[in-house]
Amino acid sequence: MIAKKVLLVGNFGVGKTSLIRRFVLNEFSEEYISTIGVRVSSKIIKIDTEEIKLLIWDVAGTSADEKVPKAYFLGSSAAMFVFDLSREETYNNIKNQVDIVKQLSGLGTITVVGNKKDLVTFKEIEQLKKTISISIDLITSAKDDENVEDAFKELAKQSLN
Amino acid sequence: MEKTTVDHKDNRFELLKELLLADDRKDFNILRDEYLEREKFKVKVAPVVDEKIEDLKENFPKYFGKTITETIKIQIRDSQDEVVEALYPIMGKLVKKFIIAEITKLTESINQTINDKFSISQIIKRLFKGKRTDADDVLQEVFEPIIEEVFVINKDSGLLAGNYSRGNIADKDMVSGMLTAIKSFAKDSFSKDGQDIEDIKFENFQLSIQNFKTIYIAIATSGVISSDFEEELLDNINNLAEIILRDRSYLTDEEKLNSIIQKTLIKTE
Repeated sequence: MIAKKVLLVGNFGVGKTSLIRRFVLNEFSEEYISTIGVRVSSKIIKIDTEEIKLLIWDVAGTSADEKVPKAYFLGSSAAMFVFDLSREETYNNIKNQVDIVKQLSGLGTITVVGNKKDLVTFKEIEQLKKTISISIDLITSAKDDENVEDAFKELAKQSLN
Repeated sequence: MEKTTVDHKDNRFELLKELLLADDRKDFNILRDEYLEREKFKVKVAPVVDEKIEDLKENFPKYFGKTITETIKIQIRDSQDEVVEALYPIMGKLVKKFIIAEITKLTESINQTINDKFSISQIIKRLFKGKRTDADDVLQEVFEPIIEEVFVINKDSGLLAGNYSRGNIADKDMVSGMLTAIKSFAKDSFSKDGQDIEDIKFENFQLSIQNFKTIYIAIATSGVISSDFEEELLDNINNLAEIILRDRSYLTDEEKLNSIIQKTLIKTE
């Protein structure tokens, strides 16, 4: 079985930890995030016939945040940028933030996920898609367990490329 | 004629005595009566008092136990500081006794090791052993150092390339990831001129980290680490790193790497 390091980045409170909790069983205490700015969780996922062990690095804050050691981004095979569909400040500057993640990790593609679908209407999502400066890959709801597994499958697929 | 004079003198003397000592005689008689009364009383009372004392001796707890207990309770309640002060030396003695017992056990263990060390065969061995001290030997045998875990980790990604584990780590990949994160955090926050974290100590364990170009090797040990053991361990880690970095196929073949870790570092097993 191969192991892959994947990143989960995004502003505080966008629901990264909730997505992980929905998806994984093995995780360290959340205290690590507030202490050293990252927490590593693991989950085995099957893509076609291949089993992949995803080591998910939940990085606190955004890549632009100077407090996050740049080394956290090194050696990753895929990354997911999460924003909160109900909070404009989490996607206002999204293109720039995604570019920084690309630059630090050396990755060509980043999966963009809009979380907290349960807090917005279909119409609001459609409106947001038109105005946002980047294309959204998946809309999820950690609360309702909607599209969470798909988002991580997408991340796993990306890690194999 | 002369005799008459003497008789006359005697009478006068008696008369004078009566006149002068009348009061004293009266007091004397009172005292004598009192004394005689007391003696009579003593003879009557002494057996009763003796009997009562014997009774008290036998039944003291019965007569006064409750009262004394109550008094002590009140005393303790009202004078807690004094009671603590009084008890403290006793408690101290108990603690001291326990520590002495434990030290005795340790001493016995050390003595046993020393006795073994001073056997003829050991003395001959010591003649050839070099700079190792007896203290090192004794400590090492009493608290034998044990390699608990070995992790060979890719430096950037934190992905585990291979490992050895004496116990059972729930998810060694996650541990490797967090270890790498902690290392990065420490380096980013505290280091100057590319310094890196080398040791993490916690209770019974010591985690030694040796950094190489693309990998780092983390070894968790328990027990007393003598300078000799540390030196030998460092040599072995360097040998292991050299083998891995000369043949990078070790980094993609976990089984092969685990086997070389065992062979290089865990020689006894």
